[in-house]
Amino acid sequence: MSRTKKILLVILILFIGIQLIHPVRNISGQVSLNDISKTISIPENVRPLLRTACYDCHSDNTDYPWYATIQPVGWFLASHIKDGKKELNFSEFGSYSTRRQKSKLKSIASQINDGEMPLSSYTFIHRNAKLSKEQKAAIMDWAVKAEEGLE
Amino acid sequence: MKILFMAAIAVIGLSACNTNGNQSKENTAEAGDTALTQSGNSAIKSESSISEVVTAYLQLKNALVNDNSKEAATAGGDLQQAIEKTDTTSFSAEQQKVFSEVREDAKEHAEHIASNGSNIVHQREHFETLSQDLYDLVKVFPSSQTLYQTHCPMYNNNKGANWLSETKEIKNPYLGTKMLTCGEVKEEI
Repeated sequence: MSRTKKILLVILILFIGIQLIHPVRNISGQVSLNDISKTISIPENVRPLLRTACYDCHSDNTDYPWYATIQPVGWFLASHIKDGKKELNFSEFGSYSTRRQKSKLKSIASQINDGEMPLSSYTFIHRNAKLSKEQKAAIMDWAVKAEEGLE
Repeated sequence: MKILFMAAIAVIGLSACNTNGNQSKENTAEAGDTALTQSGNSAIKSESSISEVVTAYLQLKNALVNDNSKEAATAGGDLQQAIEKTDTTSFSAEQQKVFSEVREDAKEHAEHIASNGSNIVHQREHFETLSQDLYDLVKVFPSSQTLYQTHCPMYNNNKGANWLSETKEIKNPYLGTKMLTCGEVKEEI
């Protein structure tokens, strides 16, 4: 066997090997008692936007793409989701203090306004998560009003 | 494989640098008040105030005044540490209540400011909410230094924002050197 072939073989074995290591999936399959919808009213036009553009990384229920079963893509997604949920988890929103809820709503509006969220690396793959100007305005409007409504 | 390996080394190297950076920062900070350190930590702790938190906040504020996002990031890290370190045992019940209410939120804002050393716009967004946290906090610590609650009507598309300052003289942390003197003192605390 030539040197190149050996190297390729090693890579192949490694690739197959890592397929066995699956990160835990972020699918609770139920609506948490602390879900944001239980504390804050979300208008009909905003709810589906949050679901398609935010919930994959900011809730307990990720809608996984098929390639998430391939490693190391799955690992990469898992770490992304972990980071996302640490910052903001819509499924646990009700457990935050009012102060933090207000903070989070404010950040939702500013992150969307600044074009930071949804991440461009995410919308690049999830084309339907790309928000139009009007959709962004709807989310920001909701977040700002909801923030003001909290006391 | 080689690339992966090198990436791994790079990551380890980076995190090592980080720790070193933090350590040297702490060292210099400690060197600054050697006398205090030598007199024993318990002595400072027993004073148990939010002065370190306020000091770090003001450093952050002044960095933003100077449009210096790097310094703001450093001050954000200091603030995060100061909040974590604060000993609340001798606080009154009211003070403890407010502090525990503010703690998580303020720490999170400080953390974000620390990790966004190249994005001053984002730092200022967090600074705005952080300023509200700090305001609520200093209100229940009347013995701490005199501060001025100052208002800038122009920030965030004329929605306006507040900040705490140690001087009456206006130096705007939201608009920085562009509009340095925009704002007015609302309250002396």
